[in-house]
Amino acid sequence: MLRKAILITALTLLPLQAFALSLEEAKSKGWVGERMDGYLGPVTETTEVVALVKDINNQRRAEYQRIASGNGQPVDTIQKLAAQKAYEKTPSGFYIQSPQGGWVKK
Amino acid sequence: MRIALIALLLAACSPTVQVQAPDKPIVIDLNVKIEHEIRVKVDKDLDKSVFAKDSPLF
Repeated sequence: MLRKAILITALTLLPLQAFALSLEEAKSKGWVGERMDGYLGPVTETTEVVALVKDINNQRRAEYQRIASGNGQPVDTIQKLAAQKAYEKTPSGFYIQSPQGGWVKK
Repeated sequence: MRIALIALLLAACSPTVQVQAPDKPIVIDLNVKIEHEIRVKVDKDLDKSVFAKDSPLF
C-alpha cells in the first residue's frame, strides 16, 4: 500500500518536460510550419502538436503585443513583420504556408 | 551488327538530365505601412525576443 502511494507520488512529480514535445523536434519532423500571419500552424494534427502550437502561439502573441505597444504600432503590423522574418529564417526543407494557404517546404 | 545493336540500346537507355531552375522564393504580400526607423526598432525587438538565438518560440 505504501509502495503504491510512493510510486504514484513519484510519477506525478516527474517533470513534464521529460515527455513534452519541443518546437525544435516538431519542426525537424515536419509536424509544424510557419504561417503567413506570424504564427505556427500544425502540419500533422495530433493532440500533442495542436497543444504545442497553441502554447507557442500564445507566447508569441504576448510578445507581439508587447512589441506593438512598445512601438506604438498595431499588433497586426508586428505579426506581419514577424511572419516575414520567420519565412526568411526558416531553413530549407521546413514547412511554410504558401500564398494559397497550403503547406510547402521552403 | 551487334555493336550497332548495343549502341542503339545504350542510346535508348541514356538518361536525360534536367536542370531545374530554383523556384521563386515565397514572398508574403505584407502591405505593411511603417516608418523606416520604427521598422528597424521592431526588427530589433523581434530579434531579441521571439527570434533570439536560443528562443523556444521559433
